Amino acid sequence: MTEHIEIREQEEGVQARENLSQKRRRRKMRKNDWELQTMVWLGVLFVAVFCYAPLFGIILAFKDGNNVLNIMNAILYGDWVGWENFRSFLADGEFIDVMLNTLGLNGLMMLINFPAPVLFALLLNELKPVRFKRTAQTISYLPHFLSWVVFGGIISALVNTDTGVLNALLVQSGLVSAPVDIIGDLKYFWGLIIVTSLIKGIGWGSIIYLAAISGVSKDLYEAAEIDGANRLQRVLHVTLPGIAPSVVTFFLLSVSGILNSTVEHILVFQTQTNLSRSQVIDTMVLQYGLNHGMYSYATAIGLFKSVIACGLLVMSNLLCKKLTGKGVY
Amino acid sequence: MAKHSALRRYTWFDWVNIVFMVLFCFITLFPIWYVFVGSFNEGLDYTMGGVWFWPRVWTLDNYLVVVTDPAIWKGYLVTIGRTVLGTVSSLVFTSVVAYAVSRRNLRGRTVYYWIFMITMFFGGGIIPYFILLKVIGLLNNFLVYVIPSLFSAYNMIVISIFFAQLPDSLCEAARIDGAGEYRILFTIVMPLSKPILSTVALWAIVGHWNSYLDSMYYVNDPDLYSLQYVLMRIINKSSVPANPGVTLPPSLYETITAKTVSFAAIVVSTIPVLVCYPFLQKYFASGFMIGAVKE
Repeated sequence: MTEHIEIREQEEGVQARENLSQKRRRRKMRKNDWELQTMVWLGVLFVAVFCYAPLFGIILAFKDGNNVLNIMNAILYGDWVGWENFRSFLADGEFIDVMLNTLGLNGLMMLINFPAPVLFALLLNELKPVRFKRTAQTISYLPHFLSWVVFGGIISALVNTDTGVLNALLVQSGLVSAPVDIIGDLKYFWGLIIVTSLIKGIGWGSIIYLAAISGVSKDLYEAAEIDGANRLQRVLHVTLPGIAPSVVTFFLLSVSGILNSTVEHILVFQTQTNLSRSQVIDTMVLQYGLNHGMYSYATAIGLFKSVIACGLLVMSNLLCKKLTGKGVY
Repeated sequence: MAKHSALRRYTWFDWVNIVFMVLFCFITLFPIWYVFVGSFNEGLDYTMGGVWFWPRVWTLDNYLVVVTDPAIWKGYLVTIGRTVLGTVSSLVFTSVVAYAVSRRNLRGRTVYYWIFMITMFFGGGIIPYFILLKVIGLLNNFLVYVIPSLFSAYNMIVISIFFAQLPDSLCEAARIDGAGEYRILFTIVMPLSKPILSTVALWAIVGHWNSYLDSMYYVNDPDLYSLQYVLMRIINKSSVPANPGVTLPPSLYETITAKTVSFAAIVVSTIPVLVCYPFLQKYFASGFMIGAVKE
């Protein structure tokens, strides 16, 4: 009898201790939960200030805030002007050129600069000498680490009409009769942007696809080889399907920035003489807004771009869903 | 003998591929070499053209002008400062948020996740952003290089994905021992996440080192210009300015040109990148792939 009671007391004691430790643990958990909330709120406060607060500034596009000294005043108390800023952008002599440049350059980027790293990764992967493969890889990443200022300076030196090696080469080989001003001449500007972007970005862009290629199972290649697939067939039917998910992911990512331009890139080569082929929406916003103080006008242009980009995104989403059954969002 | 048979297995495609890659490497490296060569050539002589593979008239005058230019060194100081401060602070800040988001038991996790995700797709545009910087006093302030880049939703999500796949048992053990979440993050999670953190650090370092638009638009004070913007101004100059407070031999100005001086400036500002490059390499081989595969 007494034994039994003792055991019960012991059990209760254990129970009580467990209860206590559970309670303590729960309180501990609550403290840790609270800590987690402070952590996440650091980020929330940051995006509230730097990402969400500027959204209110968009009303500047509908107000008279050009060439004002106190912009905050213009946002809060400025006169409403309706669609005036948008109307003057559509009527702007630059409008057609700017739209053409933005759409043209981004379209070419999608067509050429997006698939190029995929192709480059496939070629690198097929490269037989192992040492050279590693060297080529290392060299191809290097331009990514140079700034556009440095890279732009190097390219301008290379294509200079008097001293540049490229012009000397072109003239000597008889391709052109006189040196061409590649940066200043309107004809060449888009090509200049595409080619320089290609040299700077192709190696770095291929890293991700190389990683995806190395993730493709060796068994699949062996199986294909046993089935008599030649090298090209192995690339087409094993490697490509293997990396397709990464390619689609990056395609969708680049679609979301469909009208964004690399301002750092374009500004390095932009001059007064090539303006009609080098001015894109992003550079126009910077110049009108920050150089000339046309705050409302520039905000309106930026908003116009966002709306068009949104439309293009919806369209490409529909197209993507139709073609692959998988949407952007 | 073995080598011979390996070579014989090369098809015509392999040879075309090798030739293509050699050409590609040449196209990538030659422009850098070309500017390097030009920076050692006498300016006046360079204008005659033909200086391609090796300097024709050797001189160090271009470098003499560049290294006595105080703007370059101020730019260096600003850029090193922003790179170190900006990278460390953003890595810590982003990791803290990423850790919270990576915890399943974070209350309101989905809501927070979307609050961050939306910022990747919508923004007010550059003008409202500029006004914000003006209102909070970051214009013409060194901190404009550091504070706005403290946090990025993209990096946060990349890091949080890595955090989420670490075994939870380690953290659980620490939690039972009474460790707070900050302590768990800094003493357990972050040391285990070196691959992803070094990858994100590399992105941040490259971004800070190469940035010039923020100096161009948010800063007026030449003492606060970052190195790349200082370099851009040197490249765009059409004449060689006399550096204040420094007297160089007058004969030097007879042969020097703005172009070769700008080449020397390009080399001087690129040397750290080229020196660090071989050491950085192992990080983008290992870390980048981890980030890539998980995305």
